[in-house]
Amino acid sequence: MKELEYNTDDSIAALATGWEESALAVIRTSGTDSIERAAAIFSNSAGMLAAEGGRIIYGFVIDPETGEKVDEVLAAVFRAPKSYTGENSVEFFCHGGLPAVATMLSALKKGGFRDAGPGEFTMRAFINGKLDLTRAEAVHEIVTAKTPRAHSLALNRLSGALEERIDGLKKRIVDMLSKVELLLDYPEDELDGQASGYPLDETELSRLCEDIECLAESFRAGRVFREGVPVALAGRTNAGKSSLFNLLLKEDRAIVSEFHGTTRDYIESWINVNGIPLRLFDTAGLRASENSVEAEGIKRSGEVIADAGIVLYLVDSAEGLNSEDETFLEDFEDKSRLIPVWSKIDRGGNSVPEGFIPVSAMTAEGLPRLEQALSDSALGKKGLDDEVIIDSIRQRDLLSRAAEAVRTVQAATAQQAPLDAVAMELKDAVDALGEITGEVSSADILNNIFLKFCVGK
Amino acid sequence: MNNADYDAIVIGGGHAGIEASLALARLGYETMLITQSLDAIGRLSCNPSIGGLSKGNIVREIDALGGEMGKLIDKSMIQFRILNQRRGPAVQAPRAQADKFLYTRLAKETVENQSRLHPFQDTVVDFILDSSETKIQGVITERGRRFTAGTVVMTTGTFMEGNIFIGDWVTSSGRLGEPAAVGLGTSLRRMGFSLGRLKTGTPARVASSSIDYSKMEIQPGDDKIVPFSFAADTIVRPAVPCYITYTNERTHKIIRDNMDKSPLYGGKIVGTGPRYCPSIEDKVVRFPDRDRHQIFVEPEGLDSEEMYLNGISSSLPETVQEAFLRTIPGLEDVRVMRPGYAVEYDYLDPLQLSPSLMTKKIAGLFSAGQTNGTSGYEEAGCQGLLAGINAAMYMQGKPPLVLSRSEAYAGVLIDDLVTLGTKEPYRMFTSRAEYRLCLRQDTADIRLTQKSFDAGLQSAEAVERLNLKIEGIEEIKELLRGRRVNGKDVEEAGLRVTGLKERLGDTFEKLMKVPDFTTEDLLVIEPSLSETHRQWLDQAAIDIKYEGYIDRQQKQINRFKRMENLKIPAAFNYEGVNGISSESMEKLKEIRPLSVGQASRISGVRSSDIAVLLVLLGRGDDNA
Repeated sequence: MKELEYNTDDSIAALATGWEESALAVIRTSGTDSIERAAAIFSNSAGMLAAEGGRIIYGFVIDPETGEKVDEVLAAVFRAPKSYTGENSVEFFCHGGLPAVATMLSALKKGGFRDAGPGEFTMRAFINGKLDLTRAEAVHEIVTAKTPRAHSLALNRLSGALEERIDGLKKRIVDMLSKVELLLDYPEDELDGQASGYPLDETELSRLCEDIECLAESFRAGRVFREGVPVALAGRTNAGKSSLFNLLLKEDRAIVSEFHGTTRDYIESWINVNGIPLRLFDTAGLRASENSVEAEGIKRSGEVIADAGIVLYLVDSAEGLNSEDETFLEDFEDKSRLIPVWSKIDRGGNSVPEGFIPVSAMTAEGLPRLEQALSDSALGKKGLDDEVIIDSIRQRDLLSRAAEAVRTVQAATAQQAPLDAVAMELKDAVDALGEITGEVSSADILNNIFLKFCVGK
Repeated sequence: MNNADYDAIVIGGGHAGIEASLALARLGYETMLITQSLDAIGRLSCNPSIGGLSKGNIVREIDALGGEMGKLIDKSMIQFRILNQRRGPAVQAPRAQADKFLYTRLAKETVENQSRLHPFQDTVVDFILDSSETKIQGVITERGRRFTAGTVVMTTGTFMEGNIFIGDWVTSSGRLGEPAAVGLGTSLRRMGFSLGRLKTGTPARVASSSIDYSKMEIQPGDDKIVPFSFAADTIVRPAVPCYITYTNERTHKIIRDNMDKSPLYGGKIVGTGPRYCPSIEDKVVRFPDRDRHQIFVEPEGLDSEEMYLNGISSSLPETVQEAFLRTIPGLEDVRVMRPGYAVEYDYLDPLQLSPSLMTKKIAGLFSAGQTNGTSGYEEAGCQGLLAGINAAMYMQGKPPLVLSRSEAYAGVLIDDLVTLGTKEPYRMFTSRAEYRLCLRQDTADIRLTQKSFDAGLQSAEAVERLNLKIEGIEEIKELLRGRRVNGKDVEEAGLRVTGLKERLGDTFEKLMKVPDFTTEDLLVIEPSLSETHRQWLDQAAIDIKYEGYIDRQQKQINRFKRMENLKIPAAFNYEGVNGISSESMEKLKEIRPLSVGQASRISGVRSSDIAVLLVLLGRGDDNA
């Protein structure tokens, strides 16, 4: 049974302009309550709510969680039916840098907007009679996202290799589901030993879950462009982290710490390196401290470093390596995420140890090499050649949904939970993967049962 | 219509025909039931049991809707079991072994005693249409009789152009020893209907006194019987066991060596057989690695010598059947009383029916049961009942009673048939229902009784009983929500209910959500609850335990209903619609879905076609 999700009762948002560096970007939203939702995260809330259709308002988009200003924007308000989709709609004209766009989309998501699926705006426009019927065939190409197979290549830019892997995962779940359905549709005494005991295996489920998660994680390059990579600047106090922070920012946005150990909490900013958005975090210097505020800052630095995709570890070339530095560098597990930096080379300090990138924040010497190292690390070893690249959050989310459902099944298996409930979770996992590569119908599952088991009195 | 002989004519006295004719008569219509043999009303042609997984749910749905099947099996069962007790309440279902002879007698009596229902023995071979040939006016029988009526319900089972095969031997029959209805299929084809061939089979019946039961496993029923009918609280019936034995390599060798004599594998039978109910020939061919196949030996009746060999239906020559049966433990000296056989018959492609089960081509002509490509007594019964109700609605000029996929297995069944069609005998499975957690057997009355009452069939008492039950369950839930585990509970029941001490202060509702906590545990802590209706208590317990899942399913249902509620007018003109692909256009014109939801389930219809439909139906204007 193919499932149609013409869910038109929620609000959606997506970048309407291309995902590339530009001066200006347009983010389009649509939905009955889109104006209310947009107003809730807009500095001139009342103005937006009162705006007539077709009016443009100036203001700031505010992150609803942190209360911080995200971007200075122009917002165009459209009221149904006079909009592209025929629904209420707000379009934001914001700064075009990729990091800026990423933060904007994230703020909208926090404000209750859902990422629009492929062609979803066109779909809504179509449903609301805003498009000519003769364009139906063109629309079809876009909206078949729910029909088997055809959609995947045309719409989601799925590579053959990725589709194969998702199909493989789906087949493993369908096999499990078939075993469960077999037990649900045939009483125990009729199966003659073809299925004894609980039909699911925790280890197998755990492996499956890892494989799905691994695939979700492997969308690294795609995710890098979509969401940016967190980069932490780490090192002892006065290693030159804040200076390097400003150098990478190419502006004196951050106030450089003038005292030892006064960067007591991390600060962050978006930067763009070779077109890759990076979220740069300047952390508190690492040292033992008796000052509780600083100690807390150091603890939080540790968390930032742990969560970072890439860590730039700075050592002052004048000071040289000490045991503290060596411990940190040795203990750091994933060396592909670590870039050791030999800082302040303009001061003519010790010679550069192996593996370090010499940089001067004063003269910008070594900056191109550092930026190259950053983009290489962000894209991973295989870089853009990796065959399983995807740039869709939707697909990543679907994989996560599948993984979560499988994890729930694993927990249920541990408790030997009733199979009718377990089947619902497995079906959810199959449906999630099915939304990426094509639906699985109940007839498919029955076929699988009849193929594999000798059943029927 | 006023000058007609009858208001309604039902063709066939099987499980669909019984329900259709009783419903019509009970709704106030003078109804004629024409059957080839009055002695064969309500026969259990194949296995001597009613119910089973998903099928048991259907029987309870039939009962909730005011049908007869549940009552008949309650009065004729000789063993009762709840299947899947350990696999979750959504898929638990009752099954009963029936005394076939008693079941048939009771069915015939019920039909005979129903006022306004007139059984008549003859064979229908043709139809009478109005001058425009678009409306039914009656039937013509084999003996040349013409009977007129405003509506006709066709429930011919395996009898329409039926052929029986045993090895080389072929005869025109619908059931062994009973002639087929020849001519009816030809008439339907002449009227422009598309018919197909399906095949099914049945195993040998053997003499009980020739079986050595000591070589078999015994399979008893449950101690406790839960009636199929919501009208009864408890019933008392005899309980006899079934037995289990197995085929072996010697059996399989005989079957393999004689495969060339099988009408199935020899190419004589063209109809498609059911994959879920394969013949022993199929099992041996398709699963060569299995060294044995299970056989259930089931009594056909309390006073009968005949035993049914469930699991080895066969159409091999009789001597081959006897030879392979005698290789089976306990059957070494078996005496066959009736051989197994295959039957091939005409069925009406159900895509030609609207969800009311009326043919789209001929107004007033309804079709139900095996005629529509299904298999099983229960599947037939629910169709017969709904066809009967809708034939009445048709005469009253009222909209038909169409059950949704989210409210009944009967709804799933009919929607699948009229939307997807079928190429093999269609049997219900729980996995066909997307919303099975909400289609539990114990909730059939809550889902359906009121609907049948509104249609005029179900009695006021049934609704009253239902309301009592709903209130009773709500009271129990109220109590469970309010009552907390106290020190006295722990003191008195702590030893018998493990972990109770740790739950001190929890509400009983929370306690009930603990996976291992059972209704029995609850009764230990709160013995006063044993005074309430046990089935209500169980239902309240399941509702609470599955609350999260049921809520999730309900959300899915709500989403599903949005598309179901977008109706497509009957007169909707697909011609000249831009943007619908030609393949979809053909399907939409053929199936004529009632709603956008149904349209979206038609195979091959694409999302863009649905989008075009939505636009044309004016969805753009209401800005929903």
